[in-house]
Amino acid sequence: MAAAAIRTEGLTKRYGDVAALDHLDLEVAPGEVVGYLGPNGAGKTTTIRLLLGLISPTEGRGEIFGLDCQRQPVEAHRRLAFVAGEANLWPSLTGAETLRLLGRVQGSWGRVDDAYRDELVARFDLDPAKKVRAYSKGNRQKVILIAALMTRADLLVLDEPTSGLDPLMEQAFRGSVREARDRGQTVFLSSHIMSEVEALCDRVAILRQGKLVELGTLAEMRHLAALTVEATFDGPLPDLSGVPGVSSVRAEGRVVRCQVRGSVAPLLKVLPAADVTELLSREPSLEELFLAQYGAGQDGAGQDGAGQGA
Amino acid sequence: MIAWLTARRAVRSGVIWGYIFGVAIASSAVSYTRLYKSTAQRDALAAAYGTDKATSALFGPAPQLQTVGGFTVFKISMTLMLLGAVWGLLTSTRLLRGEEENGRWELLLAGQTTRRGAVVQALRGLGAGVVTLWALTGLITVLTGLDASVDIAAGPALYFALAMVATAVMFLAVGALTSQLAATRRQAAAYAAWVLGVSYAVRLVADAGLGLHGLIWASPLGWVEELRPLTAPQPLALVPIAALTTVLAAAAVRLAGARDVGAGIVPDRVSSRPHPRLLGGPTALAVRLIRPAVTGWWVAIAISGLLFGLIARSAGGTISGSSVQVLSKLGSRGNGTDAVLGVCFLVLAVLVAFAGAGQITAARSEESAGRLDHLLTRPVSRSRWLGGRLLVTVVVLLASGVMAGVFAWAGAASQHAGVSFGSLAGAGMNLVPPAITIAGIGVLALGVWPRGTSIVLYALLAWSLLVVVIGGIGATSHWVLDTSVFHQMASAPAVPPHWEADGVMTAIGVVSALIGGIAFKRRDLRGA
Repeated sequence: MAAAAIRTEGLTKRYGDVAALDHLDLEVAPGEVVGYLGPNGAGKTTTIRLLLGLISPTEGRGEIFGLDCQRQPVEAHRRLAFVAGEANLWPSLTGAETLRLLGRVQGSWGRVDDAYRDELVARFDLDPAKKVRAYSKGNRQKVILIAALMTRADLLVLDEPTSGLDPLMEQAFRGSVREARDRGQTVFLSSHIMSEVEALCDRVAILRQGKLVELGTLAEMRHLAALTVEATFDGPLPDLSGVPGVSSVRAEGRVVRCQVRGSVAPLLKVLPAADVTELLSREPSLEELFLAQYGAGQDGAGQDGAGQGA
Repeated sequence: MIAWLTARRAVRSGVIWGYIFGVAIASSAVSYTRLYKSTAQRDALAAAYGTDKATSALFGPAPQLQTVGGFTVFKISMTLMLLGAVWGLLTSTRLLRGEEENGRWELLLAGQTTRRGAVVQALRGLGAGVVTLWALTGLITVLTGLDASVDIAAGPALYFALAMVATAVMFLAVGALTSQLAATRRQAAAYAAWVLGVSYAVRLVADAGLGLHGLIWASPLGWVEELRPLTAPQPLALVPIAALTTVLAAAAVRLAGARDVGAGIVPDRVSSRPHPRLLGGPTALAVRLIRPAVTGWWVAIAISGLLFGLIARSAGGTISGSSVQVLSKLGSRGNGTDAVLGVCFLVLAVLVAFAGAGQITAARSEESAGRLDHLLTRPVSRSRWLGGRLLVTVVVLLASGVMAGVFAWAGAASQHAGVSFGSLAGAGMNLVPPAITIAGIGVLALGVWPRGTSIVLYALLAWSLLVVVIGGIGATSHWVLDTSVFHQMASAPAVPPHWEADGVMTAIGVVSALIGGIAFKRRDLRGA
């Protein structure tokens, strides 16, 4: 079997007493698109900088396609392309010059072809004749996105790649990631934008305070999480609080909202007796799953629609 | 708000430089009283330098070398005038254009502050900085004057301190104006540096004994010279200084209102046709990035070398007998021309060392700004990146040494000074080892204390320069002298290069760079 695109074993980075990343065990298979979520300061960028060999771990190790991130960075980097969340480029170079430089640095290992680069420049609507110092933040971001995508590397490591992009460009980005996936490239996408991760990723990892708290496909995570049910009644509202699996019950006029974990059968037995006229149920969005994870550390307060109840 | 933010940083810098200015003045004055005790000694010194055109062109005229004040002015004033001017232009372009470029003013300008108001406030903050610089310089000078053997009254001491910060005042204003003209801090500082270069060149010609002394009034540095502190005070020269400062500051405020935030009056070229050369890899990129700065250093080295060569013969001709002995205390031996060139090459050595230090700080800023990430996350190893940059640095230094020698020779040969090409070429190469030591120690800092890289480099440079300028005439402890790379360097062409010492300096540089390189390979990359 081919080596994992990314594999970490107990990967840890401490700054003094603070663990920026705490024993991360993660495996990303070739061809997978994995979303990497977490609030600010959760350790997403630390993970990526460790994988890229820009910083070294306090403990544990990481591999890219079986190559050690610390000891064989150059070999590992031949197979990946990276997009940073902040595009600090050389102000005196133009966009075209930057792309040429980064393409040449990738060397013959990259599969840069000018036609594909030009296609990406057109797709992202970039004016390559401008100097970097004259670009807006979004335009600088486009430059490093194009520089990474044009290599068609086996692994794309993207650290909040769409910060500063407008919705049209966000669509162009999503199209490009899908193209990459269809070509068999692996994508590791750290992001704050839930809809982006939801639209693109096969699997999602959620990080909190340096620890991996959730890892799985969206379907698996939804299965584990609660279903939101909204029922409208004609008659008096029934008391649903005692029903097995039901939690977070809230009434508002003639509408009752609640969360259901596990089987919905007990709830369905109670409802007909109470003269229900409308029944809506939906799976939690990724945002709700994320907020549930994030909020759980803060007493679950105010996490309406996603609180996991007692 | 802006006034306070600017003042905080300007005052902090004013404290550091005020201290350096004060200490430089104090050690100059005190070393004179220890070295030249007898009247005979003082007369010999005055005979050597008092009428010398070369030293007058380089350091300004030297009247009254028989007095502590006259000597101190001669010894230290040109250095402090230039340092003050550089401090002024760097501080104001940093705190005006630099802050604007970084977007820190935008939030404030979006509020009730107008663009003109912001510049007025920043100028007030800079004013607080320069007052601090003057106060501290003045305080230390007054305290030094209390020493019985120095004996300078408080009034003249404060007037001297005022003269020493006058260039800082004018170049703060120059920097404020160029910050309105250029859209980038670098460009603004470059414009201001040209003004300084022209001012220095004009006063150099005026003081070179070519019968053009009237030109002194065409140079801001000349006005400061005409203040004649501690010798024959002429406060009238404060008038053009104050006038220029006021006019420049007013122009800066006016122009600030006439442009957009983030833009300059001189249009910035935002688009250009791609220049595909020097984009093939990290080392080629390094060459491309450093080209503008290195070109500037090379122009400065070539012009200085040429000028030193041109004046060496006439200057050397005035030296004879006991004067040669005095020069020999500065490390110079041989005939007059060689002796003068030996002292001039010290100035070139400083320029070469600055060019080298600039290479290392440029490398560090690639890392601190996050631009290095784009290279190191591609198939480029840290050794390859750093090795490439160091290779470029060494080439820059060797070329600087060659240029210093060749241009000085060209200048001297045109005057039939009778100095051989070989000896000046050797003297040029002799400038390289001290620069390699400093750059190497800079790489060590880059490896083990990245955030302190530029502090270490410029502290080492400033220290080495201070020690050799203050202690050059003797008396200072050998232990202190030995810490200066410029002291270690033989003052070729006056004496043959000390190849042994050069070898040791090169070795220290190379070993430091190796250790720094290994540390850099192992450590985490760090931002600003």
